Amino acid sequence: MVNTSYSTYCFRNQKNANNMRNLNIFLYEWKHFVRSPFKIVALFLFILASIYGLQNGADLYEKQHLEINKVNQKVTDKKDEIVTYFEKGEKGPKNRPWIDVATPFWAIYNTPTYHYKKATPAIVYNIGQTEQYGFYKSIDIYSSPYDADMAKEIANPERIQSGTLDFAFVVLFLLPLLLLVLLYNIKGQEAEQGFLPLVFVQTGSKNWWLVSRTAFYTILLLLTLFGLLFYGAMLTPIFKTDSTLWQIFLWVAIYLIFWILIYFLILKYGKNTVSNTLQMIGVWLLFAFIIPAAVQQWISIEKPTNLMVDIIDTKRDKTDEIYDQTNELTDKQLFNLYPSLKQTEIAKDSVGIKNARRRSIRALINSAMKNAIAKIDQDNQSRNELISKTYWFNPLTYFQNKFNHLSGTHYDDYQDYRNDIQDLIDKRIEIMVLDIWNDVKVDKAKYLEYTTTLSNND
Amino acid sequence: MLQIIKNEWRFLVRSRIFLGISIAFISILMLSVFLGNYQTHKQEQTYQSAKDHVRQQWVSIDEMSPHSAAHYGTYVFKPSNLLSSLDEGVNSVTGNVLKVEGHVQNEITHSEASQMQAVSRFGKLKPSLLLQYIVPLLLIFLAFNSVSNEKQSGRLKLLVLQGAKPLQIILSKTLSVWLYGVLLLTFILLVYGILNFQSFTDEILIRTILFFLSYCFYYFIISGLTVFFSARWQNATLALTSMLGVWIIWTMFLPNILMSSAEKWHSLPSRSEFKSAMKEDRSKGMDGHNPADKRGIELKEKVLKEYGVDSLSQLPINFNGIRMQADEEYGNIVWDKHFGHNRDVLQKQKQSFQLGGIINPFISLQNTSMGFMASDNLHHQEFLLQVENYRRVFIKMLNEKETFSSSKTGREDNAFFRSVPDFDYKPTQISAVILNYMLDIGLLILWSILVIVLIVFGTKKMQII
Repeated sequence: MVNTSYSTYCFRNQKNANNMRNLNIFLYEWKHFVRSPFKIVALFLFILASIYGLQNGADLYEKQHLEINKVNQKVTDKKDEIVTYFEKGEKGPKNRPWIDVATPFWAIYNTPTYHYKKATPAIVYNIGQTEQYGFYKSIDIYSSPYDADMAKEIANPERIQSGTLDFAFVVLFLLPLLLLVLLYNIKGQEAEQGFLPLVFVQTGSKNWWLVSRTAFYTILLLLTLFGLLFYGAMLTPIFKTDSTLWQIFLWVAIYLIFWILIYFLILKYGKNTVSNTLQMIGVWLLFAFIIPAAVQQWISIEKPTNLMVDIIDTKRDKTDEIYDQTNELTDKQLFNLYPSLKQTEIAKDSVGIKNARRRSIRALINSAMKNAIAKIDQDNQSRNELISKTYWFNPLTYFQNKFNHLSGTHYDDYQDYRNDIQDLIDKRIEIMVLDIWNDVKVDKAKYLEYTTTLSNND
Repeated sequence: MLQIIKNEWRFLVRSRIFLGISIAFISILMLSVFLGNYQTHKQEQTYQSAKDHVRQQWVSIDEMSPHSAAHYGTYVFKPSNLLSSLDEGVNSVTGNVLKVEGHVQNEITHSEASQMQAVSRFGKLKPSLLLQYIVPLLLIFLAFNSVSNEKQSGRLKLLVLQGAKPLQIILSKTLSVWLYGVLLLTFILLVYGILNFQSFTDEILIRTILFFLSYCFYYFIISGLTVFFSARWQNATLALTSMLGVWIIWTMFLPNILMSSAEKWHSLPSRSEFKSAMKEDRSKGMDGHNPADKRGIELKEKVLKEYGVDSLSQLPINFNGIRMQADEEYGNIVWDKHFGHNRDVLQKQKQSFQLGGIINPFISLQNTSMGFMASDNLHHQEFLLQVENYRRVFIKMLNEKETFSSSKTGREDNAFFRSVPDFDYKPTQISAVILNYMLDIGLLILWSILVIVLIVFGTKKMQII
């Protein structure tokens, strides 16, 4: 009984001594840090770059939302103009007498619809691939998700090529460098000055001493990063989203630990400051530059840029083919697409069917376009799969795409956006074809119904 | 001085680490040249096959009215060039496909970067990536302890006692490190030259020499500055960390920050503003498709008067063609105004960015590297201008055919479509654009002079021990 309590007492004492020792190492590291202007300047620059990056993200968020509001205003103006025709009992603009908004074709043709890829509040942290794509798209029956107006906003290609300095860039590329600056002389400096054995004697365990010193900087950086993330959260309404902020913090922390582990191993087995620094920068160069660049080069050899010849062929040859085919074949294809057409009065009217058929041919072209687009999407998908297969040795690309997913700026998010656009085109064409074949007369109420049905924006 | 350089090299060659790193790096460099070249050839094949395919579609038109053909249009694909296998510049972010048609000047679309998820923030493994980012680091690693080591070992004192001047020593050290960079650069360009020997032209040669020179200047700046720090600071670690700091600020911070700032100082319109402004201006002109258009009617009156007839049916020509061309020419004025404004803004952005070279020679290097390899925005804009000029000739040819055609059906046969020339891209000559890079070259030279001045005055205060 006595022995047990004595051993417990000893154990407690030992534990207290360990805690005190760790605290001392922490305090020593704090003194070391505040006395090192180089490290303080590096941290200061990192914070400055992060704030700049966060502001860039917030500016983009603001800019995109502002632009969407402007486009919405245009949509409202156009809608009001068409509504006026109904109210005045006019068919359309006087200088375009062939337009008749009371018919489904022209009413739908004149229903302004835009679909948006609204920036998420998390864009403040990571711009991702946002600048590669457009974020609003005008939709009509001739649209496709690969139209020219899906191109990115007008911007300087040299700036896009060098990339925007956003928070993710700071974290992915500058955080490892900051860590390098903070850790590079740990152990090496003591070894060079010849008091490493003394340190080991005083601290008991060299591993623990190294872990404690590294842990100090880990905590310092985690606190800094959290502070920066919190600052970012003030710039956009990210708190309104579920848990994106916490997820981003989690992945930033994992990324930090990834680099801490690598640098820790270099410090543990390293001999001197210079060699440690060279190894650290070597690993950084490998992960940040050489591996991603080699992967991208390999991908572009394996899967060269698609010049969209399939879409061009569909727009030309396939479209001509559809226009040239027999009426029987066109009807058959239309009835396959929309079986209910067969039962309509127009289908039985040999005169009326001509106009309905002509106006509905776009549905068949849209179908052919979808087949061509599917090939392109598949090609892009296989390119992405190849990239994903390299993640195990290409961690930076993995983390970059992880952040892109979290901020809704990944290729997949834009693929979803394209899919939504296709759905809207399909819906638009379907409503138009069904209403033409059902000989629907469009009035103001019907037109307003179109404006809400054909859009899926909130 | 030559003797010191020789000795430096003797020491370097004896170092196994140096040899190991050099061999590994040369292998990566060779790989980058081979892959860059292979990718360019593969892209060239894809480009050629798409170009041929689209041309085939055009020359296969049996019968079509010229105006329908203007809507049918054609497609121009951005060609890859041999030089871009050294520095790809903006090629992966600009589009590749441009539709050439009547009534509208389209924008180039479908960039490589938009066809996949994010991979590399710094582009592909092209020689320029290694030459711009990695080689300077290698030079820093070679130079950071070149003088401090000599101080610590007492060799510097010995050299001075033997009659060598500190300035000579520092300059020799700088040159020996710089030579290493120059050798790597020469090696890359030689391999590139051998691989592309048959396609080499004077233009490519001049551009490659200019490319070589701008890198030589930059490597001198990096080598000189590192040796200067090594001479000024008491310990090697401080010299290394200072130079790494400079490298990070020059290559990672400033280019991004300055380019973003230049874009804010001279802002481009948003796409919707741009389109609305063009639509607004366009609406003031003629509507080529609308016979009831007021300006169209005025033109009709003018033409009828010119031919001394009362109605369109009496005209010996097809008025539709004239109206379409008038519409097109008005459109051209509008495109010139708005696209021209964008080009002006881009040029102002570029000039502001170039001035960034005053505080960061890396910016000057990037500009000259892309520029001399014909892959910067300036060359991209030149390509777009050529396409637009082609579009105007192409549409005018179709409109004139529509106007003066002898065909009774208004449709032209295959022979006419075959006679319409295809787009033939003429690569921009360096002599036409060299003035745009004089500021960058000047700044690189100025930086080199500044480094020499630093070395000359800095070594006066250098402690020998």
